[in-house]
This record gives sequence, structure tokens and C-alpha cells, in this order.
Amino acid sequence: MSEAFLFGPSRIMGSRFSGGFTLAVGLALAALILFSGFLAPFIYTASPYAIHPAAALQPPSAAFPFGTDELGRDALALLLSGGFATLVVALPAAALAFVSGVAYGFVSGLGSSWLDKILMRLLDVFLALPSLIVLLFFAALVPQSNFNLILLLGFISWPSLARLVRNEVRAQRGRDFILAAEQSGASRLYLARVHLLRVIAPILVVNGTFMIGDSILTISALSFLGLGVQPPQESWGSLLQNAFDIAALDPWWLILPPGLLVFGSLLAASLTGQGLLRLWGGAR
Amino acid sequence: MNPVLDIRNLSVTLPRNERNVTILETFSLAIAPGQMLGLVGESGSGKTIAALAIMRLLPPGAKTQGEILLNGENLLQASAARMRAIRGQGAGMVFQNPLAALNPSRTVASQIGEAWRVHQGGGKTQARARALALLHEVGIPEPETRLDNYPHQLSGGMRQRVMIAMALACRPQLLIADEPATGLDPLISRQIMELIARLRRERNMAVLFVTHDLSVVQDYADMIHVLYAGRSAEWGAARDFFRHPRHPYSAALLGAVARLGQRRLQNIPGTLPEPESRPAGCRFAPRCAHAKEACHAAYPPADSHGATVAACLYPLPMAARPVAEAQAPSPKRTFPPLLHMQGITVRYAANRRWFGQGQAQPPALADVTLSLGKGECLGVVGESGSGKSSFGRAVLQMLEYEGKMVLDGQDFHAQAGQERRDLRRKVQVVFQDPRESMNPRMSIGDIIAEPLRLAGKIKRDALRMRVQDLLGQVGLNPEMTSRFPGSVSGGQAQRIAIARALAASPSLIVLDEPTSALDVSTQAMLLNLLKDLALRHAFSYILISHDFAVVSYMADRIAVLNAGRIVELNETALLISSPQNAYTASLIGAAACSVNFCYTDTFESRALR
Repeated sequence: MSEAFLFGPSRIMGSRFSGGFTLAVGLALAALILFSGFLAPFIYTASPYAIHPAAALQPPSAAFPFGTDELGRDALALLLSGGFATLVVALPAAALAFVSGVAYGFVSGLGSSWLDKILMRLLDVFLALPSLIVLLFFAALVPQSNFNLILLLGFISWPSLARLVRNEVRAQRGRDFILAAEQSGASRLYLARVHLLRVIAPILVVNGTFMIGDSILTISALSFLGLGVQPPQESWGSLLQNAFDIAALDPWWLILPPGLLVFGSLLAASLTGQGLLRLWGGAR
Repeated sequence: MNPVLDIRNLSVTLPRNERNVTILETFSLAIAPGQMLGLVGESGSGKTIAALAIMRLLPPGAKTQGEILLNGENLLQASAARMRAIRGQGAGMVFQNPLAALNPSRTVASQIGEAWRVHQGGGKTQARARALALLHEVGIPEPETRLDNYPHQLSGGMRQRVMIAMALACRPQLLIADEPATGLDPLISRQIMELIARLRRERNMAVLFVTHDLSVVQDYADMIHVLYAGRSAEWGAARDFFRHPRHPYSAALLGAVARLGQRRLQNIPGTLPEPESRPAGCRFAPRCAHAKEACHAAYPPADSHGATVAACLYPLPMAARPVAEAQAPSPKRTFPPLLHMQGITVRYAANRRWFGQGQAQPPALADVTLSLGKGECLGVVGESGSGKSSFGRAVLQMLEYEGKMVLDGQDFHAQAGQERRDLRRKVQVVFQDPRESMNPRMSIGDIIAEPLRLAGKIKRDALRMRVQDLLGQVGLNPEMTSRFPGSVSGGQAQRIAIARALAASPSLIVLDEPTSALDVSTQAMLLNLLKDLALRHAFSYILISHDFAVVSYMADRIAVLNAGRIVELNETALLISSPQNAYTASLIGAAACSVNFCYTDTFESRALR
């Protein structure tokens, strides 16, 4: 019934915040984190590697706003450089996973049914492997460098997106406007470029943002286990690990900030994705 | 006799875009026990809001004024607890889409039983017995086995019967049915109407029947009430209404319905005004051929000098009803050949396993052979599952088929690559749901330009000119190009789909149920547009529909499909006047009762009832 327009989507969803508000909070948080990783080191120029033995393991003070660690390094400087080290791996890795997942999904979704079957069974194999264990295996095998880390992280996180994109493409393929375009001689590449990308754009953007959050979490976990970014370079994960080693001394100023930054980046990605999803609503 | 339902001066306002908009104004009606009232209006007329207001199911923020008396009790004053009791015992409601209104995870017995237990109490065994009795009453075959079925195991007609059984569970005195037969096959929809009519007689129940389609209610309703843009246009006894409609809008609505054998449908120019921009005077005045200056000044008072009451300053005189032209046999047209189909068979793959063969299924289309001429319109009629969609898709080369299909001397199977693509482009399609057939994220200009771009390089200016020309040809504003599909009406969207089909310069257009998602007046305009376009350009149509009346209006010849085979193929007039096949006759019969208004007695089809 056309009268249905009277029941606006926001009312049905009954959400407390509008999509715009959620999106704004998510973007603000993301901007804050990107700022801390990429710009703040130029403003707060203290060296993360300088050791102040006299001031080891000090809580926050005027000289060291975030305190110092057990070696007497400036915790704020460590946090900022650790953020850079985390993001510089996590963001390209997410981009790599995103592009390969979307490409794989489109090839499988638009390909012939036997190609689709082969690609999907291959994907099942990938998904069946426990990703963290695979990651640990390869991380221990290859030489540690940012480039290798990006490849590794990108490699393990694309399959779920690939499956999502493939299913979405398959579902959209039978829709009338796709059939109409094919009737006029549209090639598969044209369908992907002009129609499908446009229609599934909301899903892609939302999942892309989630992927960034995921990637940050994974690199942090890897560093926490000692296989990520290598010393003397620190990352959020390795900072947490260091603090955990001396957890008995209750160094809350060393645990809280990196933990909050990991949590904050996940929240930023999630809120941004949610906000976009709600703003676009059911317009698919 | 005291009316069961008595609505007095009901007004409903709803919040929309931060403003309060009046959807329904000074609406009054009364229904006595055992009476059926047809509440008729196009989408946006406020008819569904009226039905929801009775059940107090309006969306939050709605404000109501006036009185809704059910057996003398004002429902607008009733407490929430009292309303729960009333929704069931006082009034039951049946919705258009039973699949959406039934819970997919619960059996028929538990859903019908629930309605009864909530209101009457009682144990599970009693509820089950009651559900069984109700299924008997609504005429479901094998009710004992159906009790334990889930909604997806039932056909559309059976689901609607279950919905009716639920509404009847607590013996309501009033049944509100909101388009219960819309979207069903004509034969099934007919059965649902018969069922509602029978239940009303047996239970002496009042029925408020909400519909956009006058032809549905005309054989059953005792009274008709026509809504237009939130105000009552005309109301009165159904017999008088159909014989002598007095409001110009009613007459136009009757004229816009396709009837068997009609020559030209009446257009209602313009569109229904949005609730925000309704005119001050008579709301139909801007579209009315009889409107004078006074009509625009104030809403006209009700005129009750005739058999029915019309809110019109210049109601039509009693005899002004246009009488259908006598059916003169049209001169036989001959067409040069365009398409030839030889032994076309379509099989859908059964559920194949990794190894071994699946079960063989009967073909969706079996050994269809026919020819189509240039400029000819072929109608393809059949119920759902008859293979008519497969027929269309085979012609469009959208699925694999056995057999030979030749268009303009070129065999589809003999072509490959670009040549095949070029040949295929000559066959274009207009789908049933105009919104589904357009990418919601593409502008209307891009949508129409798509076939032109795909056909080869074209300069920007030439492209824009051509797109604007096409929009003009389908009667749309050429400035529409930058808008998006979400912002146009259903009728406009279907015109855009037609413009896109025209853009490919086709020699054949397949119309797959092109009007069944549209309102009656929009339908008429669209059918006339298609007729005019066929005269201007020399292309052929294949019109696929379950609606015999629509097909007979357009088609030169009609093919009747049943279980994948053509059971009858003949010129339209001959097929309707003397069907050779019993199945064809039953289809025509169903169409004839629903579209045969009192004055179209010239057809023999009436005898088929």
C-alpha cells in the first residue's frame, strides 16, 4: 500500500539516535585517532626511544603527561609512535583485503556457475582455517617487515567479504533492471561497474569500515603476541604486552591509553559503519 | 435496523515531514448487519487510513476527530484494554498480503487458535477444535491436514482463507477487508469474494470492503462509498451507483476500467493531489472536464437529489452514463511476419546433486509454435504457473530453450557474440514492477540513456536530445532527467520503463503484466499510451497478463496458456465470443463477471457465468 510512507523508517527502527548523529560521532572519533597517529608526533616531539632511568615507571606528571614505562621511556611519545606503527600497517592491510575481497566476490558472482563453484569451495578452505593460527604460523616463518605484515593481514581477512559480495551480486543479478540492461547488450563488466557497484555500495562502505577496525584489532593482537611490529618500534599491541608483563605493579597509565585507543578505533569504525547504514536506510 | 458501524465526521491527521497533514476529512458512513459496503479509492485517497482508524491501529502521532460508533460504543473514547477486546469480538480485519500478516514459524492451528484463546480463554484442545471448525467454514480443502501446515505450505488463496478464519475466530459483528483479493489470480480472487459474501449472509455480519478496484466489489457490495483525496466524493446504493454514477470522478473511474471488448479506455488526466497540496475547492476540479469556476471556490456540499449522494455542484444527469459502443467486428488486419517460434520448449533444471541426475520435471513451456506479425499485438493469457512468464523470457532470450526462434529472418541460435547481442537488443521488455526494473541509484536520464550508450558511441548532446524526446513521447516532462526513480509515482515509473524500451529502437516489446501494479486510472492511461505508441512506431507487442480484460483491450490475437501449452490461439473477438476450449471459457467467465458492468450486455460472455 502506498499509504505505507506514513510509517517512516526511523519510527519503525525506534532508534534513539539518528544516522547522522551516529556517523558524526564515529567520524569525530576516527579523526581523533588518525590525528594521534599521523599528526600528533609532529606536535609532541619528545623521542619515544630516549630513556630516563631516574624517572622509570612514573605515573603521569607535568614532565611526562602520560607517565613513563619501566625503562623510563616517555609513555605519550611511545603511544603516539605506536599509533603510527599500528595504523601504517592496519590501514593498507584493510585496503588490500577490501580490494581483493570485492574483486573475488565479483568474479565469483558474475562468473559461470562452475567457476563460481570452484571459487566458493576454495573460499571454504580459507574460511575453515583458523585465521589467527595461520597468521601466527606465517608471521613466524617470513622475515618481519611492515610490507610482509600488510600482505599477511590483507591475506587473511578478505574471504568473509568475498563471500558477502558474491552472495550480494548473485542476489542482485536476477533483478529486473539488470535483466533490462542485459537485454540491451550490457557486458558483465558493464553490469559490475555501472549497476552492481552502485547498488551494493552501502554494503561495501559499511563492511570496509568494519574491516579497518578488524585490521587494527588483529595487528594489535599479533603485536601483543610478539609477532607484529618489532622492537625497538612499539605498537598499541606491544605496549599493552609490555604493561602486562609488569601488571603486578598496577601501571594503569600504561595499560589504559593503548587499550582505549584499540577500543576507540573499533568503536569509530563501527559507529561510522552503523551511521552510514542508517542514513542510507532501505534505499537499495 | 441499527447500524453495526456508524462513523460520523471522522477526520484523521498524521505527522509527515514535521507537519500535521490531514489525510481524511469529515468522513461519515454507516453499515447495517449483513450489509457489505465497498469503500473505493485510489492509493493515497485515505481509504486504508479510514480502515485502520476503526481498529485504532493508526501510526503514532495520528490525531482523530469525530465519532466511530461500533454498536453505539465510541471507539475513539475506548480504553486500550477495551480496544483489545473489540479487535476480535467487535471487528475482525483481513489484510491484503496474507503472507506478511501470518507468522511463518507457527502452524495454522496455533495461529487461528490463538486469536480465539486470547479473547475467549479455553484450552488447547478446544482451540484446535475451533480452528478446525473455522477452516471448514472458510472452505479449505482437507482442513484436518491443513491444521498442522505452516503458511509457506499453503497457496495464496488458502492463506487468505486462513486470514479470514482468524478474523472470524471470535465471531465479530464487523469484518474489515483491505484489498483481500488483490494480487491473486482472477479465478482465486473470485472464490475469495464468494467466500466473503457467503460468510456475510450466514453470520449476518457487516462487511467493510476496502479496494481500489470497482470491478471487484460491483457484484457483491450493497453500498458504495467513493473517496477521493481524503474526502467522500459519492456514496449510495451499489445498484444505483453502477447504473447512474453522478460524480464525474465516479464516472471516470468506471470508464477507466478495462472491460472485455472495449475500444478505448477513458483517461483521467492529471494525478491525485498529495495531502499537502490539496486544492481548496472540489478536489477533483483540476482534473474534471465538467468543472466550472464555482467548483474551485469551496468544497461542494453533498447533493442528494439523485439516487446516490454526490459531493458535486454539477452532478451528472441520470442518463449521462456513457453507454458502451456496440461491438462492431473490427476489420481483419494482416501483418508481414516478424517472429517465428518453432517447437519452443523450456525446462528448468531439477535440483541437481553433485553426482547423478535430479528428478525430471514437466517442462515450463512445451512445444510452442506460433508466428507474430510486424505491428501485431499478441496477448498471452494464463494463470500463475501456466508458463506465461517463461514464454516471455524465452522470447527475450533470458533463458535456455529448445526449438527455433527466428526474428526478422535471423535465427537466435545461429548467432553469437556481438551479432547475437545486436539481435537480442531488438526485443525489449517492460516488467510488472516499474520500481524493480530501475536501478534506484541511477538518474532517470541515465536509465533511459542506457540502451543508447550500449548500442554504440553517441555524442553527449545527441544523447540528451534523444532522451528528452523519448520522455516527451511517453508523456513525461523532459526536464525529469535528473530525478531519481524513488521520487516518481508508479505510473510515471512505468512510463520511464517504456521510454527505456523505446530507446533501443526495438522491433518487438514484451510487456510482462505491465499494468497489474498500477491503480485503475493510471492503468487506463498506460494502456492508451501503449496503443498510441504502437500506431506511431511499427513495432509488435507481446502482452503477458493474467487479466483477460486488459489483454483483450490491447491484443489483435490471444494465446491461452495452460500447463505450458497453448490451448487456444485465435483473434481476440473470436476467442472471446466463441471460445473453443473449456479452460479459455472459464478464464473469460471469471473476467466477465468482474468487469461486466450493467450496461455491457452485448457480449455472449455473460452467458458463460
